Amino acid sequence: MLICDEYLTPGTLAEAFAAMEQNRGRYRIVAGCTDTLPWAREGRAGDVEIPMLIDVSRIPELRELRVDESRVRLGAATPIQRFLDDAALARALPSMPRCAVWFADDQIRALATIGGNIVNASPAADATPCLIAHEAEVELAKNTGGKVVRRRMKLDAFITGPGRTQLAEGELLVAVDCDALPGYGGSFEKVGHRRSLVISLVCLAVLVKLDSQGRQFEDVRLAIAGIGPKPVRLTEVEKFLCSGPLSAERLEAAADMPVSLVASRTRQEYRREVVRGFMLRGLLNAVRRAGADRQALSGELEVAYG
Amino acid sequence: MADIHLEATINGRKIFRSAKPHQRLLDFIRDDLNLTGNKEGCGAGECGTCSVFVDGVLMKSCLLPVAKAQGAQIDTIESLAKTGELSVLQKAFHKAGASQCGYCIPGMVMAATAALRINPFADREEIKERLGGNICRCTGYQKIFDAVELARDVQNGRLPASALLETDTGEGDVIGKNVRRIDAPSKVSGRLKYAGDMTMPGMLHVQVLRSPHAHARLVSIDTSAALAMEGVEGVITSADVPGEDGFGVFVNDQPIMARGKVRYVGEAVAAVAAEDVLTAKRALAAIKVVYEQLAPVFDPDEAMRVGSPVVHDYAPDNVTKHIPIRVGDVEKGFAQSDLVVEETYSTQAIEHAYLEPEAGLAYVDHDGVVVIVSPDQNITHHRHMLARIIAKPISKVRFIMSPVGGGFGGKEDMIYQGMLALLAMKTQRPVRLVFTREESIISTAKRHPSRTLLRMGLMRDGRIRALEMKMICDGGAYGMSTEGVMRKAAILAAGPYVIPNVKVDTYGIYTNNTPSGAFRSFGALQTAFATESHLDICAERLGLDPFEIRRINAMRDGATTHTKAKLGSVSLMRALDAAEKASGWEAGSPTSRGATRSDLNRGDSRPACALGARFAAPGTQEAAE
Amino acid sequence: MARKRGRGMAACWYGIARTATVDRAAAWAEIDDGGSAKIVTGVTEIGEGILTVLAQIAAHEMGVKPEHVVIGDNDTARAPEASHAGASRQTYMIGNVVALASREARKRLVEVIAEVWDVDVDLIRTGNGEIWAENTNHRITMGEAVSTAKNRGVVPVGSATFGTDTTGLDPVDGSGRPWQAYVFGCQVAEVEVDTVTGEVQVLGIWAAHDVGRAVNPQGVEGQIEGGIVQALGQGLMEDFKLDGGHTSTSGFAKYILPTSLDVPRVNSIIIEDPDPIGPLGVKGIGEPAMVPTIPAVMNAIYDAVGVRILHLPATPEKVLMAIREKSHREAYMAAQAAE
Repeated sequence: MLICDEYLTPGTLAEAFAAMEQNRGRYRIVAGCTDTLPWAREGRAGDVEIPMLIDVSRIPELRELRVDESRVRLGAATPIQRFLDDAALARALPSMPRCAVWFADDQIRALATIGGNIVNASPAADATPCLIAHEAEVELAKNTGGKVVRRRMKLDAFITGPGRTQLAEGELLVAVDCDALPGYGGSFEKVGHRRSLVISLVCLAVLVKLDSQGRQFEDVRLAIAGIGPKPVRLTEVEKFLCSGPLSAERLEAAADMPVSLVASRTRQEYRREVVRGFMLRGLLNAVRRAGADRQALSGELEVAYG
Repeated sequence: MADIHLEATINGRKIFRSAKPHQRLLDFIRDDLNLTGNKEGCGAGECGTCSVFVDGVLMKSCLLPVAKAQGAQIDTIESLAKTGELSVLQKAFHKAGASQCGYCIPGMVMAATAALRINPFADREEIKERLGGNICRCTGYQKIFDAVELARDVQNGRLPASALLETDTGEGDVIGKNVRRIDAPSKVSGRLKYAGDMTMPGMLHVQVLRSPHAHARLVSIDTSAALAMEGVEGVITSADVPGEDGFGVFVNDQPIMARGKVRYVGEAVAAVAAEDVLTAKRALAAIKVVYEQLAPVFDPDEAMRVGSPVVHDYAPDNVTKHIPIRVGDVEKGFAQSDLVVEETYSTQAIEHAYLEPEAGLAYVDHDGVVVIVSPDQNITHHRHMLARIIAKPISKVRFIMSPVGGGFGGKEDMIYQGMLALLAMKTQRPVRLVFTREESIISTAKRHPSRTLLRMGLMRDGRIRALEMKMICDGGAYGMSTEGVMRKAAILAAGPYVIPNVKVDTYGIYTNNTPSGAFRSFGALQTAFATESHLDICAERLGLDPFEIRRINAMRDGATTHTKAKLGSVSLMRALDAAEKASGWEAGSPTSRGATRSDLNRGDSRPACALGARFAAPGTQEAAE
Repeated sequence: MARKRGRGMAACWYGIARTATVDRAAAWAEIDDGGSAKIVTGVTEIGEGILTVLAQIAAHEMGVKPEHVVIGDNDTARAPEASHAGASRQTYMIGNVVALASREARKRLVEVIAEVWDVDVDLIRTGNGEIWAENTNHRITMGEAVSTAKNRGVVPVGSATFGTDTTGLDPVDGSGRPWQAYVFGCQVAEVEVDTVTGEVQVLGIWAAHDVGRAVNPQGVEGQIEGGIVQALGQGLMEDFKLDGGHTSTSGFAKYILPTSLDVPRVNSIIIEDPDPIGPLGVKGIGEPAMVPTIPAVMNAIYDAVGVRILHLPATPEKVLMAIREKSHREAYMAAQAAE
């Protein structure tokens, strides 16, 4: 049970900072609450008494959504459901709709926010690998001496470990900026203990851009979660894939590369197997969606991993 | 505490109410507005029994701090049949037989309503995805999907409204007809009151202090600070039991609250009745218990060894029950066999996970009768035991069964009704206890985990000559239904097959794990997993089709069972024939024929779930693939 | 294909009502004013639909309409004992006893009416809210009949008790007569195994079960479908985990249950082999429905990918590791053979 004396819903960033300032050490920031309420239960944190909850989900700046030609700005309180409902967003972030479907059920997606998923910094967070693949940057804001000071950093630097980020005391995650990648083929692969509403054992985001013949990678973005303390971008693999023509051999060689990165505390061997399989399946799905020349790939590969 | 001044529209009516800042929307609608149609099943956003519309969007109200309802339009299950007339979807649930215990159904109806609002033409696969956040433990979902498809077709005019009415009655025998469930309207509308929905004037709220240790001596319990708290009306421990303590299904080895020692994590140690749940919770924290840890035992094999910690003094070998079955001479049978196959199988503990966590009310009525209202699978036996425990004549103890939101055997144990009775007697006020999901999982019985050694001897032609099985089950800290589970497991262990030599031993063992108890299929599930897997292994070794090896050994009319009981008519061959025919089974030995079979992918299975059924609408990328 | 399908089957048997002990149940019945009916018995509706089953049985026996049957609450101070909800016993024990009590109530009413009409009792028929005499013009509603009876000082009530002829087991060799009614069943499962993740999806189940006599076929299907999905949960995903007596699966986020996306299409085939002892021929279905599912699914996994899961649950990890182990073993054997 989460017990609080006060529940504040500030309407502006300034109000939020004022409340944080006045209640230093006795508040917790919430947005969708889909993690906080289940956290304050037996078997996890148990009954938790926090004097004040500050709900930032109604601050307009945190709900802002902007899709430009090259970048997308997602307010931190953007609900995950938007990735399914907003066609422009879905075009700009091609692996995100599938990620959202896997993320949770319709009802939780309506509440859960992108900012919450980032700040929780779960090693198995579903949305984070997609965002990392989109070169996401977080925008953080803090009230220092009556002045709002902002800073930005790469999302993969912002998350430092399981449940750990570089968010400073008194600082808020305001927005996430990331690359718009329309025309990319996207895929999102995930496995858990069932299909719906489940924590990832492994999940992988893939974004690829092919040349007009569909025979050569022009750009590849790969990021993976569930295999270590935090989601990781697979830059080495991306470089390797771009270094030659699209072929079954290249995909297979690429699929082997991240296997050694698996550093989870449990199910290591299983995760290694899945990572390799997901690399192939995810790449196959993404290149197909990006208009790959099917002759460049062996049918065998599709049979084994499709 | 800064109360929230809430302005919202609930089911079409404006409300101006103050609410506590820690309340969830679910608490507010249920406790403050008495709209109890939506339920709490898990409190963690996993089960969907609490699904409501917030500004037209379906959300889980256990995840919503009430402040998020500020200015919003909230629609609960009660909004769907406001005039008493059920909605098309509710009627479809009634018609299709989509409700069983009914506890998940208000949330399920809300989710289905949302699904058809979002896509009035959703196909079955999309419907499944949109219901993916709502768990049902009774129906297997199939009739729920049927109901949503029926409602969709009626709403779209593809079927007439009369399709929602009873079709299968009229003249003739009413037995064998699909009469619509008489309790379904109350379930699909949320009108049915489960124990946790009931309140009484002056009612106190109960919370239970539970053991953090698996095996420990209770050195002392000091309840004085808790009792002194404002709003606390009663605190009980085993010292408050006036009669002869002890309950169980076969052996009365479990006290109402731990007595002398605790035997598992989660065992009740003390209970508090207070004016509200929060006060009762705070009082629990004020109870001082001194434990002296004892060596625990968690593995049943280890528990059977001499010198292991003893869980109950009356059973120094920790054996709760051993059931033997003997027919013929198995060693002789194995010696005669052409093939002997031995394998070890194991099954895990599982939770009943009925959507309704335990809940109950108790009060002492005008005649001095102690009355317990709870979803209880065995009120006759519980009345009997409770009368002895509270030292009253049976006529002064009354159990009333409240609607049971799923049981599956898990509500056969009297694990909390005794505490309610004692607190009602002590405070002379009505008391209510509602378990959280976590409390239910931690403290109640599970299915017996098992380890089974199975040896089978067969002739080349597939006839089984001998079967030997030894199954060890972890019964956990208390006896509960272990004895019965071991008995049924043993009787049914060798399967419906004629076997001249049988030796079966099932053992239920005490450990310091969560108790195991009654669970739908009562031991037969564990032994059948072993025996029926084993038969396929043997069939492969002998080159026989799985149906064939079973037919060769099947009991027929007039057969004698392994307990030497004579059967009359035996329908096994009919069942084998029917399943084989209905499935279009392709005969062959159970080698991994897999995709080479000709009987796969018929129209009467389902497509594999790839997630993303909603992307499959015409014109999308997915549809193009 | 990365996703491989296979099929398996398994059979089962089960005993109906309490095991190796005498089972018993009682009920009171009344044909009430207006042609409605009242049944009072210690029945426990736990979701299986027993109230509807009893209403159908009472309606059938008394000739009233099922929607006019009222069933009293289960209350130890108000209802006769019918024992517990479990052992797949309620349709068998309580169904049969409600039939017997209803017959007695009907008999009381029919005797009065036969006397009033001056016809042989055996000619009286009841059904669908009416009572009539064969080969005559006598036909009135049940409501009128009840009124007639009451005017003659007779309230049409009945009561009955039903017990089983069973024994305990011998403590040495286990011999005994644990049940008087047995059911049998068989299920076929079709699965798809994803060899990239190890996930198993159960796509179809064909379930044939003997229930004696199906009072409400839709309710029987509901029991079969629900039982199968519970078994599938145990077979594939559910796992109550303990470590040093402490569970790590105390909530539904960690204790994984089947959702709408995890369940097969179930094709039920109801077999009716009537019980010769009880008055109705009914038996039971609640528990037997889930007994063959797990082995049928495990046998199907073996058919699909050649690995045998002996230790439940068949999680993606367990299945995938078994597949890899199998291919390593086969590669090793092939290499050995090549040498």
